[in-house]
Amino acid sequence: MDTLERPRAATWAETPLPERALLQYEAEQFLYAEAALLDARRYRDWLGLVADDVEYWMPIRRTVTNADLDREFTKPGEMAYFDDDHAYLEMRVKKLEAGSAWSEDPPSRSRHFVSNVRILDVAGDEITLEACFHLYRSRLEADADSWIGRRVDVLRRAGDSFQLVKRHLFLDQTVIQSTNMSTIF
Amino acid sequence: MADGAQLAQAWDRAQILSLFDPATGRLDRRVLSDEGLYRLELERIFARGWNFMCHESQLKEPGEYLVSYIGEDQIIVVRDEDGQVNAMLNTCRHRGNALCRAEQGRAKSFVCSYHGWNYALDGRLIGVPGQKTFYHDDLDRSRLGLRRARVESYLGFYFATLAEDAPSLHDYLGETGRTGIGMMCANGEVEVVEGVQKNVIDCNWKIAVDNLFDWYHVPYSHASANTAGFLDVARIQFPKSQMVMLGEYGHAIGGPVIPQDAQDQIDQLNDEQRAEMSRAQPEGSPRIRPRQATELMGQAGVRSHGHPNIFPNLWVTISGTQMCLRLPRGPSHTELWWFTLVPKAAPPAAKREIIRRMNHVFGPAGLLEQDDGENWSQSTRSARGLASRDLGQHIQMGIGHDEVRTNDRGEHYIEGLISEHGQRWLYRAWTEWMVARDWAELTANHSRPPVGVI
Repeated sequence: MDTLERPRAATWAETPLPERALLQYEAEQFLYAEAALLDARRYRDWLGLVADDVEYWMPIRRTVTNADLDREFTKPGEMAYFDDDHAYLEMRVKKLEAGSAWSEDPPSRSRHFVSNVRILDVAGDEITLEACFHLYRSRLEADADSWIGRRVDVLRRAGDSFQLVKRHLFLDQTVIQSTNMSTIF
Repeated sequence: MADGAQLAQAWDRAQILSLFDPATGRLDRRVLSDEGLYRLELERIFARGWNFMCHESQLKEPGEYLVSYIGEDQIIVVRDEDGQVNAMLNTCRHRGNALCRAEQGRAKSFVCSYHGWNYALDGRLIGVPGQKTFYHDDLDRSRLGLRRARVESYLGFYFATLAEDAPSLHDYLGETGRTGIGMMCANGEVEVVEGVQKNVIDCNWKIAVDNLFDWYHVPYSHASANTAGFLDVARIQFPKSQMVMLGEYGHAIGGPVIPQDAQDQIDQLNDEQRAEMSRAQPEGSPRIRPRQATELMGQAGVRSHGHPNIFPNLWVTISGTQMCLRLPRGPSHTELWWFTLVPKAAPPAAKREIIRRMNHVFGPAGLLEQDDGENWSQSTRSARGLASRDLGQHIQMGIGHDEVRTNDRGEHYIEGLISEHGQRWLYRAWTEWMVARDWAELTANHSRPPVGVI
């Protein structure tokens, strides 16, 4: 569901501000670094930031009435645009590296924006956060795609950095206005 | 592109027939770009043909509806209180406003958001605010119901047509169309998985349809999916063991086939042995169909693991596990809707496995389909260039090298190497639909599948 998830761990809410600010800073820096790798087409390096047990998912959004908002998004296990584990993400990266991924040769020019980052929960070594994203993709002479939405990420502490454990992407479009989504969000 | 002069261009019979030459396989590229031809297609193909609406599992309860299309006309498809599936234009008889704005939902009736006209689930106009006062009770509601389309189903797959004079769905599908639908039910009863992937490709709808018969592009277009380990081209393509089935009104099936001698051995097995044989095969191999499949698909059809197209725009793929509708959105745009089917009786884990795999094949992020869209959009773009379009599309492969055979059931099939017989059959039918002024003319003049050298 695309309802606004609120921070629920009392312990996180009660965490002193300097500590919260520091974690927010660290998480954001990780998200920016990750976005920069994707924009630079360093897909293999990006994959290095992804946990083995990753859950990378973009359900299908549908135009429904207010009465049917519980059916706005498809649920896990139903049809989706992305429904990837690590092996599938690795396939996407291998495909991009193959030298024959024609829909990415010439390559797309993409820019990943991440904003409105709010940490929702911290449990053990995992942070759950919500963010808005805007992925702009320019292709060939004049193709331009803008994919905007909300996402929920789970990051796991790994030494000085993090690993991406979960990314659930809730796109704002229902009928995707693009020839393809040959990219990584 | 679409200037007034071009919109006004009328295509006469001789001009349309000259657009495709079945003897050489040359197709005029204006077929893929001309605004006037596109307008005529909406009239003579989409409004006239039987268009796929939905599978029965998508409308389980009375009041459940979804919005689909016949060409560019929006159609409300709804199950009414009697369990009947109705299809009606999504436009209020008063001022034309759309009654349903959601793509799916549940309704007791359809109330227009403009002035409150209220329609029953079968399209009857049952309420008009101010009928007594403002209309002085002289409004004949019985003449102002929603415009209904004819609805018929085959094996739980619902189709609709706006043509009163169209043949029954059964006759329209014919042997080849019924085999195509039968492919989806060959392993038992199915249901559509929740969620239809939808995206828009900058291509003419026929490029996408043409491509479904095209097993020539697979190793090249989809090379990267092969390298990535997603697809084993060698295991699915069978370049030397192909079958094209031809049907009336443009239906066709093209792709890999189980050779007759191998099928003869399968025919000796009971269903349990077939299931065992399927399990023993490497992952991704086509499943051996049970005995009942021959009844649904015919002796030749049951051997097919190719791609049926229900003319004009319903592609059945992955041996009947998915369907894709190609909805026209002008000469240069096509909306793709992907439906996935699972066996009703399969355990949840098995369904999940199928769904996860299907989530990765097609759709805009699919590991195969990513590479198709751009080929199609660039081919469509060429059809707009003045000099480029004069070159014509080259659809020659296999002409004069193959033979159409037939059997008692009336199946017509060509076995051999990869060819372009399916694509030529598509465009031949397209010209016949485009020149016919009504169903009587189309019925009288359309091509029946031939027998002999093709």
